[in-house]
Amino acid sequence: MSRMNMGSVMTKQDHARQKRLQSFKDALRGYLFLLPWMLGIVMFVAYPLIYSFFISFQKVGVKNDGSGLKYDFVGMDNYKHAFVVDNVFPVEMFLFMREVMLVVPITVLFALLISILLNQKFKGRMLFRAVFFLPVIFASGQVLLELFNQGQGTLPLVERYNLADVIYDVLPITAAGTVMDLLGKFVIILWFSGVQIILFLAAFQTVPRTTYEAAQIDGATPWESFWKITFPAISPFIILNLIYTLVEQSSNPFNPVLSHILKNTTDANTGYGYASALGWIYFAFMMLPILVLVFIARRQSKRTGVTR
Amino acid sequence: MNAGQIPTSEKRRMGHSTVKRMADWRVRLRSSAGMQKGRMLIFGRHFNDGWLFKLAIYIILSAAALLYLNPVVYMLTTSLKQGTDLVNPMIQWIPSKLEWSNYASAIIGLHYWKSIVQTGWISIAASFLQMGSCAIAGYAFARMKIPGKSIFFFIVLMTFLIPPQTLSIPLYVLYSKLGWLNTPLPLLIPGLFAQGLKGAIFIIIFRQFFATLPKELEESARMDGAGPLKTFWRIMLPLARPALLIVFLFSFVWHWNDYYEPALYLKNGDFTLLAQSMQFLQGNLNAAAATGSSMGGSYFSLNESITMAAAFLIVAPPLILYMFAQRYFVEGIERTGIVE
Repeated sequence: MSRMNMGSVMTKQDHARQKRLQSFKDALRGYLFLLPWMLGIVMFVAYPLIYSFFISFQKVGVKNDGSGLKYDFVGMDNYKHAFVVDNVFPVEMFLFMREVMLVVPITVLFALLISILLNQKFKGRMLFRAVFFLPVIFASGQVLLELFNQGQGTLPLVERYNLADVIYDVLPITAAGTVMDLLGKFVIILWFSGVQIILFLAAFQTVPRTTYEAAQIDGATPWESFWKITFPAISPFIILNLIYTLVEQSSNPFNPVLSHILKNTTDANTGYGYASALGWIYFAFMMLPILVLVFIARRQSKRTGVTR
Repeated sequence: MNAGQIPTSEKRRMGHSTVKRMADWRVRLRSSAGMQKGRMLIFGRHFNDGWLFKLAIYIILSAAALLYLNPVVYMLTTSLKQGTDLVNPMIQWIPSKLEWSNYASAIIGLHYWKSIVQTGWISIAASFLQMGSCAIAGYAFARMKIPGKSIFFFIVLMTFLIPPQTLSIPLYVLYSKLGWLNTPLPLLIPGLFAQGLKGAIFIIIFRQFFATLPKELEESARMDGAGPLKTFWRIMLPLARPALLIVFLFSFVWHWNDYYEPALYLKNGDFTLLAQSMQFLQGNLNAAAATGSSMGGSYFSLNESITMAAAFLIVAPPLILYMFAQRYFVEGIERTGIVE
C-alpha cells in the first residue's frame, strides 16, 4: 500500500504512520537477521550462565536410582568451601593472578616493540610478519604442552649462562621463583603475541602518512613523532590488546586454575555445583582487570573525543 | 638530478675548454653528492631509513624470530632422531641418521588417517557454519535499524570476555541430556547460531567490514525491489569475500587446534580429533604392538622423537594451509577494517 500512496498527496498523519510502519518493518527485518544469533545466545550462553549460577548454590549429585541429577540447596557453602576448605584453589588463583599481571604487560609490550619494527620499510618484512604470526597457526593445546614438557619454553640463554643461579642470588626467593617461572615459559608467552602484533600493525595504518610528513617538515624527529603522533593514535589499541591478552590467558592450556576446576567437575565429592562456584569466582577475578581496562579506555576516548 | 647532463648539441656549440671546465665541476659535485649520499644511506635522512637503522632492525627481528622458530625447529629435528641420538649429548640439532620410522609409529599411534579426516571435515564444517551465521549477525549489527542494537552488541562483546570454561559444565549437562556427547554436534551446532569458538570476534570482524561498504549499495538494491535477504545474499555477501575468507581461515585453524572442547565432549574414543589424540599415543601404540606380536599386554616404548613426530603431524595441515594463505592471515585484519 505504500506504493499506492506514493502518487497521491500525503497528509502529515499519513506520513508519520508511514514512517512508523517503515521503521517497524526495518526492526522486523533486523530481528530476522539477528534471530540465529539470539537463539544461539539463549541456548549456548544465557542458559548455561543461569544454570551454572543456579547450581553454584546447590550440591549436585546423582539420583539414587541413577536416572538423573539431584540438587540440594546449600546456599553460599560452595563459595565458602572454595576459600576455607579447599586448600588448592585460593593458592592457585593467587599464583595465577600474579602470573597474569606479569605476563599480560610483557606480551603486549613485546608485541608493540615487534610491530614497531615490522612497520618500518625494509626488505623481507612480509617474511618476518609471517614468522611472528606462525604460532597462531599451530599453538595447539597439547602440542604446546608437549613442547613445554620437553623444555622448549625456555630461553636458550637462560640455560647456557646459568641465569637461574644469578637470579636466585640477586632476588628474594619468592620473586626469583616467579621470574624463573616466567623465563621458563618465555618463548611460549611470546608465542601468544601473534594476533596482538597484527592488531598493532593495523593500528599503525590508521594514522595517515601525511601526518608524519607534516611533522617531519616541521622538524620533528622520528622519536618525537612516535610519542606525539603514533602513541596517542594506538593507545586505544594497547588497551584492546591488553584485554585480548587477558582473555586469551584466562583460557590458556597452562592454566592451573582451570584444570583444578575441571578436576572438581568429575570429583564425586564436590561435583558440578562446587565446580560452577569456582568458575564464577574465577570469572569474577578475571573480570576485575578487564573492567579496569574498559574503564580506562572509556575515559580515554572521552578525553580525546574518539568514539569507538 | 640530471644537472650535469648536457645535450651533445650544446656541447658542440660551446668551446672545448668550457666543456672541460664543466666536466670538472661536474665531477666535483658528483663526489660531494656521493659522500652525502653515502652518509644518508648509512644514517638515513630521517634516522629511520638509513642502513644502520635497518641493520638494527634486522638484528633484533632475526633474534626474536630465532626465539620463535626454535621450538619448531626442535620439533622437526627431534622427530627425526633415533633413540640413541636423544641421549647423546653431542647431538643437539642434527640427527646422526634420519629416522623416518618415528613418523610411521606416530601415524599408527594417532590413528592419523582416520582422525585427520574426522578433524578435517569437522573443522571445515564448523568454520563454514560459523562464517555464514556470523556474517548474517555482523551484517545486522552493521547495517540494520534494530531497536536495542547497542545493547545486543554489548552482549556480543561480553560473550567474548566470558571464558568458555565458565560455560562448559552446564553445556556438558545440556549436551548429555540431548545425547550429543561423543558426536560432533557440540562442535557444529553452536557455530550454526553464530556462537562457538570465538564467535564474538567473527561477528565483530563482519560488523566492521560491512560498516565500510557504501550505503548506496543497499539503497539501490531496494529501489530495484530486492528484499533484505536478497540484498544480503546477492550483493553484500559477495562483496564481503575478503572478510569471509579471513573468518573461514581463522575459524578453521582455531577449530583444528582446539583442544578443550573435544577433550570435554568427545571422550569415548570412537570419535577423536587430532588435537586431543596426543594423549592416546601410548595406548594406541601399545595396542598396535600387542596385535603385532600376539603377546598380550606388550608395551611400546614411546620416546620424545615419536611424540614430536606426532606433534608435527598434528600441526602440519594448518601449517601447509598457512604457507599458501599466509598473506590473507597476516594482512587480513588490516583489510577487513576491523581496526577503525
